[in-house]
Amino acid sequence: MKLQLNIWRQENKDSKGAIKNYKLNEVDEDMSFLEMMDILNEDLIHKGEEPVVFEHDCREGICGTCGMVVDGRPHGKEHGTTVCQLHMRKFNDGDKITIEPFRAKGFPIIRDLAVDRSAYDRIMQAGGFISQNIGSAQDANALPISKNVADLAMDAASCIGCGACAAACPNGSAMLFVSAKASQLNLLPQGQPEKAARARAMVRQMESEGFGGCSNYYECEASCPKNVSVNFIAKLNRDYLCATFKEGT
Amino acid sequence: MFKYLNHLVVSKFVMAVTGIIILLFVTGHAIGNLQIFIGKEALNAYAAFLQGLGEILWIIRIVLIIALLLHIITSIYLKLYNNGARPDKYVVTSYVKAKLNSRTMIWTGIMIAAFLGYHILHFTVGSIQPENYNQEEIYTKNAYSVGMGMNAHIANPEEHRGSVLNKVVYERHDVYKMVILGFRNPYVSGLYILGMILLGFHLSHALQSFFQTLGMAGPRFSPFIRTFSNWYGTITAIVFLIVPLAILLGFIGGNV
Amino acid sequence: MKLESKVPSGPLEQKWSKYKNDLKPVNPANKRKFKILVVGTGLAGGAAAASLAELGYRVEAFTYHDSPRRAHSIAAQGGINAAKNYPNDGDSVWRLFHDTIKGGDFRSREGNVYRLAEVSNNIIDQATAAGVPFAREYGGVLSNRSFGGALVSRTFYARGQTGQQLLLGVYSSLSRQIGIGAVIMHNRKEMMDVVTVEGRAVGIVVRDLQTGKIESHYGDAVILATGGYGNTYFLSTNAQHCNVTAAYRAYKKGAAFANPCFTQIHPTCIPASGEHQSKLTLMSESLRNDGRIWVPKAVGDKRKPVQIPEDERDYYLERMYPSFGNLSPRDISSRAAKRACDEGRGVNATGQAVYLDFSDAINRLGQNVIEDRYGNLFEMYERITGVDPYHNPMMIYPAVHYTMGGLWVDYNLMSNIEGLFVLGEANFSDHGANRLGASALMQGLADGYFVIPYTINSYFGKGKPAEVNTNHEEFVKTENDAKEKISKLMSINGKQTPMQLHRKLGKIMWEHVGMARNKAGLEKSIGMIQELRNEFWSDLKLVGNDSYMNPVIEKASRVADFMEFAELIATDALERDESCGAHFREEHQTAEGEAERNDADYSYVAAWEFKGVGEKPEMHKEDLNYEFVQLGVRSYK
Repeated sequence: MKLQLNIWRQENKDSKGAIKNYKLNEVDEDMSFLEMMDILNEDLIHKGEEPVVFEHDCREGICGTCGMVVDGRPHGKEHGTTVCQLHMRKFNDGDKITIEPFRAKGFPIIRDLAVDRSAYDRIMQAGGFISQNIGSAQDANALPISKNVADLAMDAASCIGCGACAAACPNGSAMLFVSAKASQLNLLPQGQPEKAARARAMVRQMESEGFGGCSNYYECEASCPKNVSVNFIAKLNRDYLCATFKEGT
Repeated sequence: MFKYLNHLVVSKFVMAVTGIIILLFVTGHAIGNLQIFIGKEALNAYAAFLQGLGEILWIIRIVLIIALLLHIITSIYLKLYNNGARPDKYVVTSYVKAKLNSRTMIWTGIMIAAFLGYHILHFTVGSIQPENYNQEEIYTKNAYSVGMGMNAHIANPEEHRGSVLNKVVYERHDVYKMVILGFRNPYVSGLYILGMILLGFHLSHALQSFFQTLGMAGPRFSPFIRTFSNWYGTITAIVFLIVPLAILLGFIGGNV
Repeated sequence: MKLESKVPSGPLEQKWSKYKNDLKPVNPANKRKFKILVVGTGLAGGAAAASLAELGYRVEAFTYHDSPRRAHSIAAQGGINAAKNYPNDGDSVWRLFHDTIKGGDFRSREGNVYRLAEVSNNIIDQATAAGVPFAREYGGVLSNRSFGGALVSRTFYARGQTGQQLLLGVYSSLSRQIGIGAVIMHNRKEMMDVVTVEGRAVGIVVRDLQTGKIESHYGDAVILATGGYGNTYFLSTNAQHCNVTAAYRAYKKGAAFANPCFTQIHPTCIPASGEHQSKLTLMSESLRNDGRIWVPKAVGDKRKPVQIPEDERDYYLERMYPSFGNLSPRDISSRAAKRACDEGRGVNATGQAVYLDFSDAINRLGQNVIEDRYGNLFEMYERITGVDPYHNPMMIYPAVHYTMGGLWVDYNLMSNIEGLFVLGEANFSDHGANRLGASALMQGLADGYFVIPYTINSYFGKGKPAEVNTNHEEFVKTENDAKEKISKLMSINGKQTPMQLHRKLGKIMWEHVGMARNKAGLEKSIGMIQELRNEFWSDLKLVGNDSYMNPVIEKASRVADFMEFAELIATDALERDESCGAHFREEHQTAEGEAERNDADYSYVAAWEFKGVGEKPEMHKEDLNYEFVQLGVRSYK
């Protein structure tokens, strides 16, 4: 199939970016979206032009490295799918596709479609852990955890940290990410001792990274490649509310 | 006092709590309005009852004013803050779950606030249509004790001052007449209908948002409350706007 | 070159405890004085960085990713083994050890493997305590499933995302240490070379992928946990950026590279669909618990799978290996698939695929049970192929997956370069000639959480090494080498992109150094690789410059090392004139096509010493002496 690509090109964080147009004439429907991008880049290199910088790694939808906004949707229109798992059979011959980087104040652009998501790391460093040194664990079965709780924690834990939630949010809010990471641990009995501190610390860090607040648009949930539910945001709100009434934790 | 604005989640709690206070008031207001369909007596009596609450009325008013101010200040602050968190816009935008009502909360909110100003000037202060506002109703209470009928018409109340009738004939603000005369003006009605549609639209996102923000959500509860919220907004709007519609179409108030 | 395994003497069960009792720990107050560089932040590297920092060492960790959470450990789907014996089905440390040694076709060290089995249980405890949401039964206890190469259920899992969950567990421990300043994290910095002074590793040279800047870092010890080299084959289940550079550079600096020809081909991957293919996606081996593998009995049967009646299907694994059936180990399953396809019975347009059929399991258990077990894998399959696997059998084909070979290490996980430790897939130590499913996660975490914190004392116990300033001539020289490499790559100005050349290399490797190898093919491949390498250095085309994020330069720099390293794989494969595990030499097979191992001549680790690009490296043998297990024919019949 033939495609017209409108791709955001930007040299660095401070430069002004713009959309540039490219044409591809031989796109196979079995290609993944990123393989289509590979072909474009190979073309560009042959022509001596700078290839489009985009991030990617595992190409099987789990590492969370890839991420671009395709026709206004982070990771593209297909529900519950990372852009590396989006396949060209979902597009039609002659389509015009607009590709932009993730946009949020918390994600400064590095180059073209690559953005800096290290803010997510710092949110995790603030409280996304259980403070327990390696070697001091009790037997894994000594602490029974109901299947429902374990499954719910797993739902939260399936977040891949790609940043689509903040990119999709009109407020550039990272609440879905923060809530998924906090809820996984706050749901499990192992995470109870630090529950209040974790909720507070992670939200505070999110705020200081420049992310916006949640206005309950639920656009994050719609864009999440792992279908993480906004119910976790409600849970984080609750944990945070409880935390504000608990002193010294 | 406004330190809480530095915390996004706390700000959201403030939005939710102040919002629900206003929502409860609005709901009561809407139900109270329906008394116009019972008739002049009921509505004017209800209005007089509210007026008669005295200090309690002022407490309610103060609570509402504070809630409203906090709601407005917080929302404007959050909006500006959140806009700053997404400084660059997408060339192509596309929304899936962010419906128009959620994306326009600030705008519907501002328009509702403007409408509210008009509404207070119109019906509470009376400076918009003073001729309609300055309507007094003379009514009798315990009129049987002096051998008069329940709603006996007193042609010239001034004449009865000092007489025995003074104990059964009273004056009160004729809210019924004010409303009927007010809404007979199609521009005024149109404005109110528009305002109420905006309000309903605002509420349809607001109610479920309250539950989400306060952490009440779940795989079964959330879909229910989102549907419920949409209905709540719709019904509230309908309950409000059937009053001006009924007046405009002449279903009620013909005798005024 | 002296290769001493340093496995403690004594009974197998007591080696590790004895080792721990005998070691000379560093005084807690002195630990602050030791600086450790950890390269790679996957399961092994991340776990090492976190646990060493918890102990009080100063740790600096490096990754070329934007975050330590992205390492390819994250893609492991199926699970992690441990000898917990929760299901009460007769598992034990000994059995896990024995399965692993046998699964590795008796080409790994007894002492190392036993230690791995021993600490496996601690890993499950640790991961659970860190909040890893392993699958559970309704009673609240952990759930297990079975995996290839074992007759007990010892695999713990978190849906089909076990690697992700374990890596995130490691990442959260690591994040905590970064947050309190105990670990300095360097994201987006790729190791270009290791720096050695007088035979000791003193630091590394890295390239900042955002600025192109080359910088030096000193460390009292350097830990490489940089993963495997499967991407030498271009198409593999590895992530796009997985590369051999760190390990290969260490090899060039004198570290021995052991058994590079042991490259595992995973039997259950989604087949390639065309030239554009950039990677192959693995479908977890756990699918073989409920899926049945078959091809049509007749050659050239082009009917749709549902139209082929039961008695015209050949469930070849069940037929050939009745006791293990569809759960036969990876090398055996892969070769059986290749054989069926070579006979012309392969399916798919390319003829390079076999069916993995769930219809029996769906009929027996119901679709919802299958959905519960493998839902995300089925979704992934449908997304990639556009075919619904609930109603059509999946199509699978083997693909390069894991590399058992790696830098040679002793029992302390130290290479022959003093102070250079190698963990996880990057070392060679535990999987012999073939790795069993759910053992990679186990090894990575064992090395990082429970081995290196002890064995690093073997080096530090001798006292703090003399600090070397990064102005030292070796640092300066290594930095210059790295800069030169980049500028040389940029100056070629030829016609082919790094990806084109890499794809060419992959074709040579898959064809001649792939699932089945022979002398003629291997010899030919060495010539072809050398030619391609010349082509690379004379016809490469890059654009832009190296002062900003430029993935083409990154790619070229990695491919440059693959071009040299590929030759080492072929050389080792040629040298090992036997079939064992994943290494199958067509000259050595039984009449039925099974691998024929030669213990008399090849029961050793081939550790290669670098002698110059294009020169034949020198092989050093570490003999494998089996004191505790009986070398048997590896039969899964």
